[in-house]
Amino acid sequence: MLRLEKTKENNYDILSITGEVDASNSVILDEAIQELIAGGSKFILIDGKNLEYISSAGLGVFMSYLEDFQEQGINLKICELTPRVYEVFKILGLDQLIPIYQDKTMAFAG
Amino acid sequence: MVKLPAIHIGKLSLLLSILVWLALLFVDLVRLFGIINEMDSGISDEITWILEILFFFTLYGFYSYSIGKNIQSDFLNLLWRAASTGIFASGVALLIELFYLSMGESKLASEPFLKNFFYHVNFALTAVFLISSALLWKHLILYQKNKPVVKQWQAFEFAMLGSMFFVFFNKNNFDYSFLFGMVILLVISAVLSGNLKWIPYLTFKEKWKSLLFLFIILICTGYLFRRLLAYSEAETYQVNLTDNLFLVALFGFIFIYALFSFLVTLFNLPTSSVFEQKLTEAINFQRLSQSIQPEENEEQVLDILLDSCMSASYSDGAWIEMNPEEQVVGINQLRFLDEPTKQELWELIKNQKSATDWNSENSPELLQPVPLKLEHPRYESALLVPLVINKSTIGRMVLFKEVRDGFNKEMVNIISTFVRQACIAVENHRLLNQAIQNERYQEELKIAQRVQKALLPAKLDHPDSFEICAYSNAADEVGGDYYDTYKLDENRYVLIIGDVSGKGTSAAFHMSQMKGVFHSLIQLNLSPAQFMIKANSALSKCLERNHFITASIFLINIAEQKICHSRAGHVPTLFYQAKEAKSEFMLFDGLGLGILRNKQYENHVQERTFTYEAGDILVLITDGIVEAKNQKGHQFGFERIRSLVEIHHTKSPREIQNHLIDSLHAFVGGDGMIDDDYSMMVVKFQSISS
Repeated sequence: MLRLEKTKENNYDILSITGEVDASNSVILDEAIQELIAGGSKFILIDGKNLEYISSAGLGVFMSYLEDFQEQGINLKICELTPRVYEVFKILGLDQLIPIYQDKTMAFAG
Repeated sequence: MVKLPAIHIGKLSLLLSILVWLALLFVDLVRLFGIINEMDSGISDEITWILEILFFFTLYGFYSYSIGKNIQSDFLNLLWRAASTGIFASGVALLIELFYLSMGESKLASEPFLKNFFYHVNFALTAVFLISSALLWKHLILYQKNKPVVKQWQAFEFAMLGSMFFVFFNKNNFDYSFLFGMVILLVISAVLSGNLKWIPYLTFKEKWKSLLFLFIILICTGYLFRRLLAYSEAETYQVNLTDNLFLVALFGFIFIYALFSFLVTLFNLPTSSVFEQKLTEAINFQRLSQSIQPEENEEQVLDILLDSCMSASYSDGAWIEMNPEEQVVGINQLRFLDEPTKQELWELIKNQKSATDWNSENSPELLQPVPLKLEHPRYESALLVPLVINKSTIGRMVLFKEVRDGFNKEMVNIISTFVRQACIAVENHRLLNQAIQNERYQEELKIAQRVQKALLPAKLDHPDSFEICAYSNAADEVGGDYYDTYKLDENRYVLIIGDVSGKGTSAAFHMSQMKGVFHSLIQLNLSPAQFMIKANSALSKCLERNHFITASIFLINIAEQKICHSRAGHVPTLFYQAKEAKSEFMLFDGLGLGILRNKQYENHVQERTFTYEAGDILVLITDGIVEAKNQKGHQFGFERIRSLVEIHHTKSPREIQNHLIDSLHAFVGGDGMIDDDYSMMVVKFQSISS
């Protein structure tokens, strides 16, 4: 089960992910991010408060945009990951490439 | 042992019947001689009768054998046999009659012995004709037999048997008892003559032929009967052989059945084309359902369909065309029409209201054939038939007739049935092809599985100073987990474990690339961190955009008891230290391969060097183990692995590995429940090699 919700706050496009991201539904996440880019957003914040699990395929979605975002000057941040999901990001080393914050306010400030 | 020659029943009975006939002739001639010379020959009438009955029996034996042997369900053949026997018997009788006519009042004409001889010949041939025909009739009557008919026939045979012996009781008098017996036998014959099931199976032409044969048989029967009556009236024979109830009843039977057959065949002539049509339809059904073999194409079925429908509806023209989006393009069959006429007709049909309704119908499975009226100089009615497979229209068939309202309800029904059958055949054919295709893919996957198994090392390189074992399991046929070992020199060994993101075929391809990268780079004598940097650079060129690989590499120096380790985003490795009896997952910075595909990657990879001692254990795992979930959604996690290793640290690597896998399976509730690839490698160090 995966549910995505887009909101706008403080100049940021916030993408809230609820449920699990795996190989079967990572395409949906990919499409949502592409829509945000197409919509011209420059600040994207992924809200992972309700993200229960992310597989390597899901991580691959974030990874595939790293270079594009750098080139286009798009700012991608992640916040409020559960400890288990944060560990997955940390093991892979994505925490070194994508800033991960404890909550939204810190993300806006960071 | 003396071997008896095999008794040939046919020949034997024929020989017997000839002998009996000769004996009969002899006995009668002797008696005649006695009467002429006014001597008592001492031969009673009963002897003649007994011989006569014997003659009937032997004839019956011969014919039931010879007909039974040559039994063919060819009715014309049977009829011809009876007719030819009749012609022969009548021919001989006619010749004898002509002979006496030509003799006039000469002495030879009144010669009693010759007369008697001819009488016997006539009698024998008539008996042959009657008995053989009766047996042939038996085959016709018992065609498609059921129990009541068989019972009736048996009753008839018994009655006939009784009638043979009637002569002893009746003494050859034409009295009421004779009449009574004859009436009973004729009634049974008439009842039996209702069994004419063979007639509908004759074709039109065969019916004409059988009419001819039956006519011959009727004529011969009538003529022979008249001849015998003439003999009886002549009263020149001491013992009358032919005023016999058996023979007279047989005459009746042969004549009645032949007459019935003749009339029924005659009246069946006009309807025989209908029966033939139904038979063709039944055969066409069978052809339609059988015609498609896997290697054949659909065109053949549509071909048969078109022919069958045309013959069922007596159409004067037709075509079948498939919808252009259907895979079988180019099927466009025309019958008795040319392309311009077809276009012309289609223009006429297209503009009719019912045809446009038909085309816009949303649920094709409800489509029915539509009969249409046409304003065309030649074709005045048409039938539009949809070909529907699996709730979608694949094409249409259009039939034309030169008469108005040419397609009646029965034709439409039969055509619908044909079309349904053909569509089922086409659908089955397609499904079968799909199944074959799928099977081929399965085979390919099996090959891929075998090839991939070979990519994992069958034998792991290790010195005596450490023991090692490894295990890997893919969620699908092929997977993306990888482990390997490499011996750099006597003292230096390399271990690697890797995990490609995602699973299945794409992961398997990347895994094989990983193996290639490992075996090329490892020979360059790189440090673990350097190895990761080079591997990242190599894999960046070939990994798909959203794919990455995580890996852990260990360079073990057994001389110095040192391990140099680098981690590229991989699940941390558990290191158990026996001396302190504690273990830890070695987590430090290290980015997965293929995530940063440029020089910056160098900043995100580190290496750690540490020493080991005897009894220390390394457990390399992939995330499939850590993330394996049970029914409650809990992960197997790092802590379970750590405590299991601590509990079983004294055991061999193989045993530790088995404990881990068993607990993993017990945790998730069966091997099939893990939907990711999972692998592990367990290393246990011994004391220093000396």
